[in-house]
Amino acid sequence: MTDIRLPAPSDWPVLRQLRGTDRLGRGAATKSRGSAALTARTHTADRVVKSVCPYCAVGCAQNVFVADDRVIQIEGDPDAPHSRGRLCPKGSASLQLTTGSSREQHVLYRAPHAADWERLDLETAMNMVADRMVATRRDGWEWEREDKRVRRCMSIAALGGATLDNEENYLIKKLLTALGIIQVENQARVCHSSTVVGLGTSFGRGASSTLPADLQNSDLIVLEGSNMAEAHPVAFQWVVEAKARGATIVHVDPHYSRTSALADLFVPLRAGTDIAFLGAIINHVLTTESDFREYVVAYTNAPTIIREDFEDAGGDGLFSGFDPDLPGYDPQSWQYQDAFVAAAAGQRDQEGNLPAQGPGGEGQRREDAGGEPQMDLTLQHPRCVWQILKRHYAGYTPEMVQRVCGVPQEVFARVCELFVANSGRERTTAFVHGVGWTQHTIGSQYIRAASILQLLLGNMGRPGGGVMAMRGHASIQGSSDIPTLFDTLPGYIPMPHAHSHHDLEEFVAGNAANKGFWGNMRDYTVSLLKAWWGAAATDANEFCFDYLPRLTGSHSTYDTVMEQIAGTVKGYILFGQNPAVGSANSRMQRLGMSKLDWLVVRDFSLIESATWWKDGPEIESGEMRTQDIATEVFFFPAAAHTEKDGTFTNTQRMVQWHHKAIEPVADQRSDLWFTYHLGHLIRQRLDGSADEMDQPVLDLTWNYPTEGPYDEPNAVAVLAEISGWRADGELLSAYTELKDDGSTSCGCWIYCGAFAEGVNQTARRKPASEQNWTGGEWAWAWPANRRILYNRASADPEGRPWSERKALVWWDAEQGKWTGHDVPDFQADKPPDYRPAEGATGPDALAGDDPFIMQADGRGWLYAPAGVAEGPLPTHYEPQDSPVRNALHRQQRNPSRQVYDHENNRYHPDPGAPGADVFPFVATTYRLTEHFTAGGMSRWTPYLSELQPEFFVEVSPELAGDRGLTHGGWAMIVSARGVVEARVMVTDRMTPLQVDGRTIHQVGMPYHWGPNGYARGDSMNELSAMSLDPSSHIQEVKVLTVDVQPGRRPRGAQRHALVTEYRERAGITAQTGMAP
Amino acid sequence: MPDHRAALRFALGRNGEHTDVMATRAQVMALLDSGHSVETAARRLDLAPGLVYMIATGRPADDSDSPHPDELRGRPVLPGGAQHLVNPPAQNPTRNQEVIDWVRERAARELRGSG
Repeated sequence: MTDIRLPAPSDWPVLRQLRGTDRLGRGAATKSRGSAALTARTHTADRVVKSVCPYCAVGCAQNVFVADDRVIQIEGDPDAPHSRGRLCPKGSASLQLTTGSSREQHVLYRAPHAADWERLDLETAMNMVADRMVATRRDGWEWEREDKRVRRCMSIAALGGATLDNEENYLIKKLLTALGIIQVENQARVCHSSTVVGLGTSFGRGASSTLPADLQNSDLIVLEGSNMAEAHPVAFQWVVEAKARGATIVHVDPHYSRTSALADLFVPLRAGTDIAFLGAIINHVLTTESDFREYVVAYTNAPTIIREDFEDAGGDGLFSGFDPDLPGYDPQSWQYQDAFVAAAAGQRDQEGNLPAQGPGGEGQRREDAGGEPQMDLTLQHPRCVWQILKRHYAGYTPEMVQRVCGVPQEVFARVCELFVANSGRERTTAFVHGVGWTQHTIGSQYIRAASILQLLLGNMGRPGGGVMAMRGHASIQGSSDIPTLFDTLPGYIPMPHAHSHHDLEEFVAGNAANKGFWGNMRDYTVSLLKAWWGAAATDANEFCFDYLPRLTGSHSTYDTVMEQIAGTVKGYILFGQNPAVGSANSRMQRLGMSKLDWLVVRDFSLIESATWWKDGPEIESGEMRTQDIATEVFFFPAAAHTEKDGTFTNTQRMVQWHHKAIEPVADQRSDLWFTYHLGHLIRQRLDGSADEMDQPVLDLTWNYPTEGPYDEPNAVAVLAEISGWRADGELLSAYTELKDDGSTSCGCWIYCGAFAEGVNQTARRKPASEQNWTGGEWAWAWPANRRILYNRASADPEGRPWSERKALVWWDAEQGKWTGHDVPDFQADKPPDYRPAEGATGPDALAGDDPFIMQADGRGWLYAPAGVAEGPLPTHYEPQDSPVRNALHRQQRNPSRQVYDHENNRYHPDPGAPGADVFPFVATTYRLTEHFTAGGMSRWTPYLSELQPEFFVEVSPELAGDRGLTHGGWAMIVSARGVVEARVMVTDRMTPLQVDGRTIHQVGMPYHWGPNGYARGDSMNELSAMSLDPSSHIQEVKVLTVDVQPGRRPRGAQRHALVTEYRERAGITAQTGMAP
Repeated sequence: MPDHRAALRFALGRNGEHTDVMATRAQVMALLDSGHSVETAARRLDLAPGLVYMIATGRPADDSDSPHPDELRGRPVLPGGAQHLVNPPAQNPTRNQEVIDWVRERAARELRGSG
């Protein structure tokens, strides 16, 4: 029985008030004995360690309270300009994430064919992994492929999560590249790689142009492909702030959410049709001449004239250069008239990116072109970009929006009105997007479409404008910048292709623009090679450029899965990533892993990717037997963010340092520790080798200072290497100081200056109250601490702000430099009237009014003459799985998309074809506030599991009625790839749409689930297919088609039998959905 | 018989010898205006520094509320923030001499022109 004590009469508040001196009860009298005895949870703490939340990419600053070397509390840091002390449910539960009992502490080992784990000591396990790395590498080594030198290892692959620190990613990429391993991938591939292509080709950098806090300056915020209120709740405060200041909020999404609830206008549309929607807004702006014409003429490539042999995608939906046998494009005809321009991102070396089975070898012939692009500033030339744009989007009408997207014309008209009314000199509009735009077979072009619109309306580089890419992980931006991605080196320097690049000179010539800051690619590349190979990298050996392994096409994580199944990849390392439930077609992922010789899993808990061999769906169904699986599995427990130093780069390109608060326990170690010590063990084994394949490993600069009881490599030293130094030992301040003669070292040129003057700039924490909204003295942002990119465009060509209300940076003639509220994204002392000398190259070739300084012509690209595989202009194609024919073009799907022929990766029939109605409903997917990606961090956290305990499917009342689904009951969702079960949520949040005269039902499912952890359920990725955007190799998981039936899915062998029966009923074969 | 005065003293005075008299904002501001820091004013008034900050600014020193920026306009701001008034010492080192030495050694060994 509870002992309830009533307060003594003398403790009654009114008596206390009257008896004391605080008669009005405004101070001391409000305290009772009970409340006086209360203490903060933190009162026993002996120190506060500054940190950063490890979940989403908002990067909320944290205070980690430590007492007696134990973390006792984690709270938001109120000084932070971007998060203002707030944490969402996940961040608030990060104490439980880091200190909870569900974290494994010891190394576990599963021997080939064994039924269970056994314990292994850490040292033995590390040596075993090193042995296998050395042997497997040697077995899978390739010097040549199709008579081209490749110098690589195809038998080992890695996949990392985006909660890796930049320093960890840096060492992983450095070591694996030196080992010749090219199949190095990361969550950044499957999350936002199409953003990099879309933004990078349009503006010059593949990152968000702005920061969430700048949304407070917007007059209109259009959130499309983003449920920001739930996926990035702390950043959403800035949307709320904008609304409080009078901004209009529009949310365009297939799924009504809390973001929609806060919006002034919610526009439901059919998943996978955003290009039709955005294209029609572009058409509206063009036909009504509502563009910001001065901005467009001065700052975009609207006036640029395109080659005569270019043919637009008309009725057939195909641009010139299409080869159905590849299938893909030869992009030569897309180029500017009489001038070759290289893309700043995407498929920069388009020759190398042509599919290996095609003729290839042609691509762009830079030597055929030269000189300056021709322009028509009147925009009248029939082959100028402006006119091409008008013709391309002429068919994207409000009627088509209604037919294709299911958006009523009057609603669409309202959206157009808002765009036009809130853009121009005095007003700005911002786009916010998340993975709702990126994870499509044409995701890169979703981002391009928004970029075109923002350029037409003059919203780039200006306060309250821009494209705010909401990235989803603590350092997913960092994982792109310092990539564990197959196709890039740090700083978006492309990995060399085997096709054409035999030496450094050819490599630079084939990838770098002649004009702008990519013109200095040789400086960046040589400085990187010096960072990696130090004294061994000399002018005589081209700074060890030959040590870099060569690509021969796409080696994305999905290609890796096919190579696993084919038996080429034999060893696989997972650094905090869970593809067994988190990647598209998770069945294919598990099948791939079952073919491996060995697998290393580094994580907090026993995620599905660690245990599929004993309890995966194929074990339960009897399709696989544990004793038949020969894969050795090593599980290494990982350290938490509170247990290691390092940086995360958040969604606004801000690099923030988090300090180690305590040491990890038992076998828990950081990925920095694992990679560094694994590298040493491998180098020990190769010591003395005269084999040329081992020289890159032996010459690698791999001696970092270590510290602490476990010999943890000093992460500050790794950051210093990333930031760079000169020959005299001085730390570099900016990438403009880099040289191509071997006198500078810099591991990632865009991060150059992060350790300027020997100060860890990323650890700066000046309170928000002491600086402006850009927060320029909180941490450090790339490039050069600029917070709003392309901000030269906030001023007119003469250097004056377009308006006082939207002033950001401007030319101060008196001081002879650019100044303002942000660090100018421009050469500080280059006047607006500067004109380059004839023959100038690189940055010197940029005029004083060329604001897009990474672009080959200094302009924003309405039309992308290079870099995007499926064409220079976004074109609406239906998703891989769609119940609807393409009403805008004869081409049904993206003709260049990547598809994979495998019996477990079958696609659905074309709309109207026999069997198409077997999968009649459109399914879309999304994140919940309380969970995180594949659940590896959140499903093992009791608080979060209790908040969102079960996988569910959202269906409209109409669909529920049609199919007999009951709220709270079970539903079975089926595709040609798999079947899952979910709790039914009957809700108006899913809206049936009228599309081309018929009703289209959409259902919504969150990611996050799998069979392990506290909150268990089926994974949505059992349903999805491996079909990719060709430019970025991202998978289409934001839209697919399914059937939905009441009840639970079959168990055992019946599960796969049901999927087989569906396939047969739909008439699915190896050819279904495969045609270009 | 519970000693409620002792409890109040615990709440208000760090040393427990104070009465239930709460300093007024005017008293606090007078001390701050005369050149006292929050910490020395707190010692003078025998109050916790965070409480003095709250009396002066109307905001908790740990910034656990989130006022609109307009509400903050004109309010006194403590350079470097106020968290240290209520929290234990914060760790946020930005320099590391060992790393600087390591960089110099590497630069001398690896870079051209390092003499």
